[in-house]
Amino acid sequence: MYFLKKLGITTLSAIMTTGVAQAAEPGPNDWFNAGRQTVIDAEQLHPNSKRAKNVILFVGDGMGISTITASRIYDGQQKGGHGEENSLSFEKLPYLALSKTYSVDEQTADSAPTMTAMVTGVKTIGHSVSVNQLVAHSEPNAEAVNANKLATILEQAKQHGLSAGVVSTARITHATPAATYAHTANRDWEGDSDLPDGATVADIATQLVDFNINGGIDVALGGGRTRFIPKSATDPEYGIAGKRKDGRDLTADWLSKHSNARYVWNKAQFDAIDPKTTDHLLGLFEPSHVHYEADRIAHDKAGEPSLTEMTSKAIDILKKNHKGYFLMVEGGRIDHAHHAGNAYRALTETQQLASAVQAALNKTNPDDTLIIVTADHSHTFTIGGYPQRGNPILGLTQSAGATSPNLDMLGLPYTTLNYANGPGYTGKSNVQEAGSKSFTTPATAAWESGSEGHNPKSFSPATGRPLLKNAKVQGSDYLQEAIIPLGAETHGAEDVAIFAGGPKAHLFHGVIEQNVIYHVMAEALGFTRQDPVKKHKVTHKNKHL
Amino acid sequence: MKLPDLFKIIISLGFFSFSMPGLTDSASNQQLTDVACRYETTITPDDKSTAPSTTTWFFWRKPDMIQTQDESGRYGEIWEKTATGNIQYHKLYPADKTAVEYMPADSPTHNLDFDWNKLSSMLSQQELDALKFVENKPVLGRSAEVRTGKINEQSMEVLWLPTEQLPASIIRKDKTGTVELQLVEITPLTAARQKPIDRETIANYRQIDAADFGDMENDPFVKKLMSVEGHHAH
Repeated sequence: MYFLKKLGITTLSAIMTTGVAQAAEPGPNDWFNAGRQTVIDAEQLHPNSKRAKNVILFVGDGMGISTITASRIYDGQQKGGHGEENSLSFEKLPYLALSKTYSVDEQTADSAPTMTAMVTGVKTIGHSVSVNQLVAHSEPNAEAVNANKLATILEQAKQHGLSAGVVSTARITHATPAATYAHTANRDWEGDSDLPDGATVADIATQLVDFNINGGIDVALGGGRTRFIPKSATDPEYGIAGKRKDGRDLTADWLSKHSNARYVWNKAQFDAIDPKTTDHLLGLFEPSHVHYEADRIAHDKAGEPSLTEMTSKAIDILKKNHKGYFLMVEGGRIDHAHHAGNAYRALTETQQLASAVQAALNKTNPDDTLIIVTADHSHTFTIGGYPQRGNPILGLTQSAGATSPNLDMLGLPYTTLNYANGPGYTGKSNVQEAGSKSFTTPATAAWESGSEGHNPKSFSPATGRPLLKNAKVQGSDYLQEAIIPLGAETHGAEDVAIFAGGPKAHLFHGVIEQNVIYHVMAEALGFTRQDPVKKHKVTHKNKHL
Repeated sequence: MKLPDLFKIIISLGFFSFSMPGLTDSASNQQLTDVACRYETTITPDDKSTAPSTTTWFFWRKPDMIQTQDESGRYGEIWEKTATGNIQYHKLYPADKTAVEYMPADSPTHNLDFDWNKLSSMLSQQELDALKFVENKPVLGRSAEVRTGKINEQSMEVLWLPTEQLPASIIRKDKTGTVELQLVEITPLTAARQKPIDRETIANYRQIDAADFGDMENDPFVKKLMSVEGHHAH
């Protein structure tokens, strides 16, 4: 298959979302015609072989296919439809492939090697950030790291005179954004206080600010303030101490190192930024990760922009460069919500990523901008049972025609969404009683209740299953049941999706290795690179397919 | 000390303090003295097949810091009041030179709206008011109020030190067993033999955001914390 489908959902969605809740379901002819129309549209789809001026890479951290499906349904139900017919913004992109996410040494990978593969074209070992597999994990020697560092698409963009930006809801020094601009053999070395004694490799925050290719990184927006300010300084929003031991105030250094530079840490400052007069923008909106989108407005003290707003501002600054730009945008907390076993926040984070993609689509021209939406890895998140059409995706499974939820062989109802492992296990934990678990552990429960959701250290075996009610499981803090008790839910190893549109997007096809993503971006931007890849004769037996 | 024992301490700390609603205005306005305390917590399960367990731990209180630590010094907690009025919370693992931080962006979501007055004492004024005053009694050279009653299906007997605004003893009984907290030693903080870990030392610890645990499955510390000992809670 030379190119993949333009999904029929596009047309069908138009039929369904306009009035599913109120109007009659499409009839047989409507279904047939919508399917036919999809094929007609696909016939009109022609590969765009132009060189891309701009590339935007969206990464939903931990956004596996089940997460996309559930988020699509959740989003559609929020709009008043049944949900299944809905399409998230990026699902309407014309080209699709599957990405194999394993790393050199991990069947189920973490974000560091997966993002390294995406932005350097080379797979590496777990927890390594844009260095190859030949450098040992936690190698502290800068020379050894530099000898094995991998050029990133962001660095190459800068070398070619393009602008470059990084946006995330995680710390801007977290593995996914870090892989675009930093090189280190340990993803956790985000600040200098994280480095072991005697290490000569620079911490990730320093590498961000000291990035010196062609004027430096142009836009960096996310969380992670404390690793940019010295121990002697306090956080402007919460008063907590900075973490830097070297005394550097990297926010000040950002201003001194770059021209027309601004540093902002709250939404009012962010909103006041005029993209026309700002060439370098650093925004750090929380000491660590920024708020979950579900909590952002209600809980953030100083206010912080949404991922959509950060993406829009970044594009407005970067697009001033007539040569083009590379932008990476990460929905970083999809992963955290899944680790916490909380589907609600994972789905609402995915919704926000879709909104950010839509903002990018609105601000760019598909003729000259390649937009890619993918994930670094999946999670153990499942959609199961036989719920009827339009059944609340967070709710109890209830089949078509049934008047009450379906029951398991214990005579108990169950949810459509579940996890294979994690803190949603229903045995008694050291912080919550036996039965359903909640994201929230009340502060009055114990002195050690300051937890990232239900963050247990131990479980007792569960006896049977809890009696679930829709009011509970559809709540924002419910933790879906997990089969295997773990303190944190884990990543999943199955393939993730790559959605793409724009120049060279048609090069995404079939089931590919994750590092191919880099090569498509490089091809689209016209970056020729001979080393380490040497052109060789195609000998693959399927070369003619 | 084996790590499972450590978690017993953690659990027992939680037991004695599982109901700490806020103090009344009068109490909250009171300037609390800097103190260093040593407590013992004894858990006696109703199930006779399980032996009682006793743990010893320290409690330190300053105007802008509350800190606890188990006797072995392997585990502690710290709450610090910042200049902006926020409360920064860390779990401390001194043996591992590691602090687990709970960041502000996650705290409100999880009802971690710590009340400084809740942390500074161990019983609320509401709880004390719910208990009947019985008599005054000397404890460790101080005058304590004996109060008894029932709260949340638990019978309670408390020895309350009104000057220090701390309990000298709390005995809670319910159908699962008895949890007994006893003050063993109390001194001014400056005179304490065992001091809290100072801020500079903690600043030099490895700092881990609890939100990152899920991405640190191969980290030796996190592994030790969440997997190796992560079995039965009973």
